[in-house]
Amino acid sequence: MSPQKAMNPSASIAETISSSTPRPKTALAPEKPSMESRQAVRDFRTPPVPQPPARLDDYQEIIGQSNLDSLRFLARDLKGKTLKMVNSTAVGGGVAEMLNCLVPMLTELEVTTHWDVITGGNDFFEVTKAFHNALQGSPYQLTKHVQEIFLMYNEQNMRRMQFGEDLVVIHDPQPAALVQSRKDSASHWVWRCHIDLSHPNPQVWDFLRPYIEQYDAAIFSSQSFARQLPIPQYLFYPCIDPLSEKNKELDESMVQAVCDEFQVNRSRPIVLQVSRFDRAKDPVGVIQAFKLAKKYVDCQLVMAGGGASDDPEGAAVLQEVKAAAGDDPDIIILDLPPWCALEINALQRASTLVVQKSIKEGFGLTVTEALWKGKPTIASAVGGIPNQIIHKLTGVLVHSVEGCAYQIRYLLTHPDFAKRLGENGREHVKENFLMTTNAKRWLLLFQILNGTRATPLP
Amino acid sequence: MSEEHVGDNQARKSKKPFYFNTSEHLLRIGREKAANLSELLEALRQCPADSVFQHTFRTLQEHHFIRRGFSNDFAHWALSACNEPALAERLASVDVREFTSLEDLRQSLVRVLADYVEHNPNAGARNADESFYFCAADIVVLPTSFVPDTLRGFADGLRRVSIHSIHHHFIEARLRLKLMSNDFSQWLLEEMNLTEAARAINRIDIYTSTMENVRQQIVGIVERAV
Repeated sequence: MSPQKAMNPSASIAETISSSTPRPKTALAPEKPSMESRQAVRDFRTPPVPQPPARLDDYQEIIGQSNLDSLRFLARDLKGKTLKMVNSTAVGGGVAEMLNCLVPMLTELEVTTHWDVITGGNDFFEVTKAFHNALQGSPYQLTKHVQEIFLMYNEQNMRRMQFGEDLVVIHDPQPAALVQSRKDSASHWVWRCHIDLSHPNPQVWDFLRPYIEQYDAAIFSSQSFARQLPIPQYLFYPCIDPLSEKNKELDESMVQAVCDEFQVNRSRPIVLQVSRFDRAKDPVGVIQAFKLAKKYVDCQLVMAGGGASDDPEGAAVLQEVKAAAGDDPDIIILDLPPWCALEINALQRASTLVVQKSIKEGFGLTVTEALWKGKPTIASAVGGIPNQIIHKLTGVLVHSVEGCAYQIRYLLTHPDFAKRLGENGREHVKENFLMTTNAKRWLLLFQILNGTRATPLP
Repeated sequence: MSEEHVGDNQARKSKKPFYFNTSEHLLRIGREKAANLSELLEALRQCPADSVFQHTFRTLQEHHFIRRGFSNDFAHWALSACNEPALAERLASVDVREFTSLEDLRQSLVRVLADYVEHNPNAGARNADESFYFCAADIVVLPTSFVPDTLRGFADGLRRVSIHSIHHHFIEARLRLKLMSNDFSQWLLEEMNLTEAARAINRIDIYTSTMENVRQQIVGIVERAV
């Protein structure tokens, strides 16, 4: 069995550890962890059973009673109102993950929330995938035929769906043309755009824009992602659920067990990057920065990600990463299946500092996750990351391999400063990037659109 | 005898209770955007007042957990994106609590920026690392369950309300009151005749403490009065 073999769900534990050259401790099957730690860690080769959604009261210890009360006060004025969320997939992807948490939360607050998923053939989803890439700047030739496919499926869904709710929220471009249904209802319509529209393909944007302008408001994930539009535009940051597998508190025994499983040495500083094997995440740049830093400080690098087993490009990037790692025994490369949220959580908690050296990024929820765990974080100033990392206050922003290397050295040798960054980062997430804050933003928007409550500026 | 010791402060009831409210904000993305200091100056002159509010008063609430080094978004951008520490220091020294009007605050910020750009013309046109996007806040004021009419109840409310409520009464209040004061000091003065406590609370430095620390200082002053 090669230690370089990328992990797949049926692979053995040893195969999940992928290093560029045989590392004595990882090349062979690792020693079995003790019985205690084996009990603490689940078998990550198979997907876990989904957990039931948390109850609002479960968040009380995290956000405090006063913030929970504010949510309930906001919802009280909306009692009896209804809301519909519409997106293009029920499982997989960040939007579905967010709705799976948000919809039960709003429902518990007695704001009846329906969630509908549009349907379409392969041709529709091929078109919308191309739109998605084009809207984020990729070259694309928009044809009449493609426009017809897009509109045909939107009309088909319009005939199938009903929009009697007080507020209808359409997520992303796929169902954007459903807004044509609004002429039959008194609902407020809002378009929630989760992608970066700062440099869209002009043909695709010009085609979609007349539909977007029919909404009452648009919502973006970062100021820099927005377009100039004649409708109000709001800023809703993406968020994490602090009670999810990825972010919940873990027992120390669980963290240790996962580190044992992946042969991560907790007695030495751990630098971690969590990201799929994608050039946009600059994994090779992370290794270069680590190697520069390691000349001055003792540390090990863990690159935990996925996407190499089901994506040819991901597999190619993984090979590049291994080549860049060379024979360095302090670089641990883990290609994990997508359901390994608990393992990622444990690795983040075990790390000394977290790096996200992306070249291009959406919002960067891996940064949010690291900040939530109080980890000093070094990240590139791209996408939504500057919304999260206020330089030298909630983390550090870097623009180069050399800058990243310097900050690794600095933070590892200035633990008090690193600790303060981590503490501030966690507070920043608590204030702005938790699911409860997301629910609050929806309630606020609902109230503002309804005119139920809106206080003029003092 | 000091007015702080008239009667039994602990049990004395006010004529009007203190209504602890809280304010929640929804961020709106504005039309103005600046890629350099000259553009920031122009946008700051033209942006709506609620953008001035967002990037000064409101940003303090968003970043309430930072003890030092954060004053307002303009100062932070001047330092982090424009690398102009001298300008950043001057912008950071504009204390929102010296203003009871957003227009006065805007003019103060504009004066600092205009002066700097005039004396450093190269700095004005130099592109920043990242653009400054103007935002604004839609505000919704909410009640809380705390409506005390005694000092003991007031201290209890102070301890238990959210940081947003503290910000609402202690910092945003001056725009509402049009006074160089805050809701806590006004209530202590008008309802409890506690002049010294009211003054002491109004002197708390919000730029060298986290908002949680500000809360503790207010509670301490009220407890001493109790």
